[in-house]
Amino acid sequence: MALTILKPRTLDEAAGLLADGAQAISGGTLMQLAWLRGEAQPERLVDLGKLTRDDINEADGVVTIGAGTRLADLETSDLIARRLPLLVQAARSIAAPGVRRLGTVGGNVAGRIGCLWPALLALDARVTVFADGRETERPLLDWLALPSATILTAIRIPVPAGEIRTAYRKIGLRAAFTPSIIGAAGLLEIEDGHVRSARLAVGAGITRPQRLARSEALLTNRDLGAIDWSALRESLIDEIETTSDAYRSARYRKQAAANALVAGLGGGVAVSRRSSPRHLAPAEPIQPDESIEVSHAKLASRWGVRPDIAAKVAGTLEYLTDHRAPGMLIGRILRAGIPHANIRAIDTSAAEALPGVVAVVTAADIRGENAFGIMAADQPALCFDKVRHMSDPVAAVAAIDAETAARALSLIRVDYEPLPLVEDWEAALADGAPLVHASGNLRAEFRHERGDIEAAFARATHIVEDVYVTPRQMHGFMETEGGYIVPEADGSLTVCVGGQHGTRDRKQLSLILGLPEEKIRVVTSPTGGAFGGKDELHVQPALALLALKAGRPVRLQLDRYESVIASVKRNPMRIRMRTACDAEGRLIAQDVDVIADSGAYASLSPAVLETALEHVAGPYRIGNIRSRGRLAFTNNGICGAFRGFGANQMVFAIESQVSRLAELVGLDPVAIRRLNLRIPGEPGFFGHEVAPTERLSEMLDAASANPLWRTERGLDAEGRLVGVGMALHHQGTGLGSLPHDPGGGRLTFRADGKIEAAYGLDEMGQGVMPAIQAAVSQALGCAREDIVPVIGDTGRTPESGSTTAARGTYVIWRTARDTAPGLSLKLREAAARLLDLRANDLAIAPGGIRDARSNSGALLLRFADLAARLDLDAMPSESTDFHFPKADYTEGNSRYVFCFGAAVVRVAVDPVSGQVQVLDLDQHIAAGPIVDPAAYLGQIEGGGGQGLGFTLTEDAIMQGGAFVTRNFDTYMMPSIADAPLASRITALESLDADDPHGPRGVGEIGIGAVTPAIAAAIADATGFWPVVTPIAPEAILDALAGANHVA
Amino acid sequence: MSRETVSFRLNGAPVTVAAAADRRLVDILRDDLALTATKAACRVGRCGSCMVLVNGEAVNSCLTMAWQLDGADVVSAEGLAAFPEADLVRSALAAEVSFQCGYCAPGFTVALTALLKSNPTPDEADIKAALEGNICRCTGYLSILRGAQAAVAALAAQQTAAE
Ligand code: FES
Ligand code: FES
Repeated sequence: MALTILKPRTLDEAAGLLADGAQAISGGTLMQLAWLRGEAQPERLVDLGKLTRDDINEADGVVTIGAGTRLADLETSDLIARRLPLLVQAARSIAAPGVRRLGTVGGNVAGRIGCLWPALLALDARVTVFADGRETERPLLDWLALPSATILTAIRIPVPAGEIRTAYRKIGLRAAFTPSIIGAAGLLEIEDGHVRSARLAVGAGITRPQRLARSEALLTNRDLGAIDWSALRESLIDEIETTSDAYRSARYRKQAAANALVAGLGGGVAVSRRSSPRHLAPAEPIQPDESIEVSHAKLASRWGVRPDIAAKVAGTLEYLTDHRAPGMLIGRILRAGIPHANIRAIDTSAAEALPGVVAVVTAADIRGENAFGIMAADQPALCFDKVRHMSDPVAAVAAIDAETAARALSLIRVDYEPLPLVEDWEAALADGAPLVHASGNLRAEFRHERGDIEAAFARATHIVEDVYVTPRQMHGFMETEGGYIVPEADGSLTVCVGGQHGTRDRKQLSLILGLPEEKIRVVTSPTGGAFGGKDELHVQPALALLALKAGRPVRLQLDRYESVIASVKRNPMRIRMRTACDAEGRLIAQDVDVIADSGAYASLSPAVLETALEHVAGPYRIGNIRSRGRLAFTNNGICGAFRGFGANQMVFAIESQVSRLAELVGLDPVAIRRLNLRIPGEPGFFGHEVAPTERLSEMLDAASANPLWRTERGLDAEGRLVGVGMALHHQGTGLGSLPHDPGGGRLTFRADGKIEAAYGLDEMGQGVMPAIQAAVSQALGCAREDIVPVIGDTGRTPESGSTTAARGTYVIWRTARDTAPGLSLKLREAAARLLDLRANDLAIAPGGIRDARSNSGALLLRFADLAARLDLDAMPSESTDFHFPKADYTEGNSRYVFCFGAAVVRVAVDPVSGQVQVLDLDQHIAAGPIVDPAAYLGQIEGGGGQGLGFTLTEDAIMQGGAFVTRNFDTYMMPSIADAPLASRITALESLDADDPHGPRGVGEIGIGAVTPAIAAAIADATGFWPVVTPIAPEAILDALAGANHVA
Repeated sequence: MSRETVSFRLNGAPVTVAAAADRRLVDILRDDLALTATKAACRVGRCGSCMVLVNGEAVNSCLTMAWQLDGADVVSAEGLAAFPEADLVRSALAAEVSFQCGYCAPGFTVALTALLKSNPTPDEADIKAALEGNICRCTGYLSILRGAQAAVAALAAQQTAAE
């Protein structure tokens, strides 16, 4: 249905159209959000933009703001800044600057849910409205009840006279750019210390705009000094009417709004003010040797600029989803839309008959196996007998344009027989639970036991037991899944879809399509972020089936909503942990029981859980251990790989336990760890051998010497509670001892004098390309610019294994180490022949070949000149293949080569809202030599940011098998306002003398310690140990209130 | 499907496109005109990957509909070079390696160029406020902030040199 925009010339005309059922639009920003959330789009919109005033002026003590005024203009207006600063605050809280330049004051107010409402009510604003042929002025609240044919034309605000006191606060889901949980505003007019009038209001979002008259009465006509603030707080909580949703309870909204009004108007916040922080600072700071700060300034001589950055910044880099070509069809996937059901029938005839539709595919079109999955082929490419989650793919269409494809999807009829929903992963394992897979809902179970756990608990001095709960974190890669596939004239298929392991994607596709692997070329780079979320096949099967059936190139990109519901998520876990120590703080027993949600299929979830269980003892020696982990199938979407890969969930639990035991024993957080640290060289968790270069003790040194311990803790100037916390961790690299984990690469001298470094690894942003340039140029002795990375294309690159598990760095370095000497020799020999010298007298230098016997560095032969004189069919080349180093332990999966890290974090906890701001997020890392400083820094800072989101704001909430979160309007990845104010990253680069494994990848080490360090800092500030992430502000408010009672 | 034509300036040149009234500018750019520097990571105004300049100001092209474009002056990331600030912003962001996957980069570049055009001496708070609407999933933002600050410093140096 087409939308018509009506542009009336007069208000009268506009009112007539509105009376006739058309809908008013001004900037349109709120309305579009509503449409995209699924609200019905009207057929006719009346553009009020040009009809209403867009100016701001003052006359007779009243400020008039035309309804057409842009929200951004409130921020920049001198008049508003001088006369109504409260309104500037309110305007700044709305969405983000770009949106405020589009949205209008009228639209924000007329929509009833806008963030201006509480401030306008506190300012006693009135509205002028046009109805029945004339303009009248009314109290603002009247707007809520006016008929829809009324047009809001202006807001009129009396300038408060004399001394005033104001409060404004928008409580959101993160620091900025957030939906409103509740907005609160208050204004007191004061005369000689006496409150002449008081206006208190709440509103915005799901909270109906309201004045709070009963509470106002507790202020009006009182002396400021005689106000009973705690009675006011109670009254506000009683009076505010609001409701709960999946994100925050009504109770929280009321408390936070009441706190904000009381605190903002001068009543302070009631929290117990502990005089001393809870954690003991580490006793004797030891400055670690050789650790360097990772920054551009400190590593200026080693700083390299990645080869793709200029194109990325300019926007000229073509992502696989950017490719446009004439005649390319648009693909769309039909998703189940029901979480658990048997398929009785699928009827695609109407879709096929629609003009413009070129191909419709269902399971019937699959010539190979209709099943895939990295660990087990349990996912259908297109469902045929049943669907197991809301976005299971059932059919797909390719059409000439997006509109036709969308229509065609709506014409496909699928007859479902609904099955009972399996929602809770614990309940999924109960006897008699409905089965997601016929094989049972228990997808995997791992157990490990050693020592005498009961006896150890019996003799323990301190025991801490809790259940740690972690969220369904979404990867939130900015480029959603997609790309294009081209059926070639020779019957082969070119698959250009972002991924993390081209050869494995090819193998899986080959099985589904019944097409030999040689007939499939998979291009997986560049990809706009993955973090594990594009490791499994996503859109490739449906898109490939479409391209084959249509016989034409097809492109497809999921929109964000479809990506939210269809993408793999981090496995939510419930970790019950009971940990004991003796009187001195020696850990003696650890009992762990984990239940993880796998979602509807396995993907990599069993490996994620196994990795979590590899970390039940952290990096500590604990003699008596019992662990059990169970993984349950549910109808909750799909879970699987995500940076941290299970370790970060478990590290949150174990590190919190250790810090809590330290409190009980009276040790500082470094001391208890030092007492229990594993000793370098001793066997790993499963008794297996681990690689040399253990740096746990050094990471503890770095943490203990961190200056944050010596910063001021307690209350800050804004009345927030400041605390510092730390955590330690280690994480393995590579896939582990069980999976096939191949590596390799190839160096080739090219006709243009560049050295092509070919790896089957993917650039998802993490820095494969600069790492290749750095490692290969270093191994050869040339410049970074001499190296051209060629990656992520099964047609051009060798098998290097998956781009996951922080394994790329090793593969790159090892290949360079093994191939560079051979290539160097070939180049020098070729040059020697031309120069009539001996190869040994020559050396590789930036840009070419130099005389090894002289210091001058002058080139004897440029690479380009050398290349020009070589036989193009026999260009020097060297390649290698190998296995990623692994332990010889095969009873379970275990890691061999580790990275080490410690995080020290400083937070401020707001007692008004219970929200936490991370002030400092320092990470100390030991992962061998830094290959590329910018990429190293980026991985640690970026991992830190994702860890911060996992801890404080991110959860893809599901209810009834459906995602409540549909897009970035409610899925809260950190914004720039949530980023730490400062973050210092240090690296310890040294390797043990006997360590042959080179630099470690740092893709995962940056996330694991963040959550427990933040939790510890919160505990330091408040005395409350959070065990559920994202940490609910309501839990913090409750804890502060509880602490209050005790105090 | 009813289509109307809408005429506006795009990257300095007049264009006329046929589009339904509610077609979004981001779709016109990416799909009708194959200008794919502008990304569409959310299409609900909540990520900033689609930032363009409309009449000189950074706005979300996914929230801008065809009917609102009549006579507008639109500059997408492809046309940013028309502003001298853009060059400084791009060089500084590249030198600091501000981005990883880069999918958010054009949006940040547009927002920062617009900021420097309107305020050549923003402090850290101004920069953060201007970038509040741009989400980056890879970097944690600190590298972007460093790049932005380097751009501000470069602009100041350039102006000092010119004086
Ligand atoms: S695509 Fe426009 S803000 Fe996200
Ligand atoms: S660099 Fe990847 S989203 Fe910003």
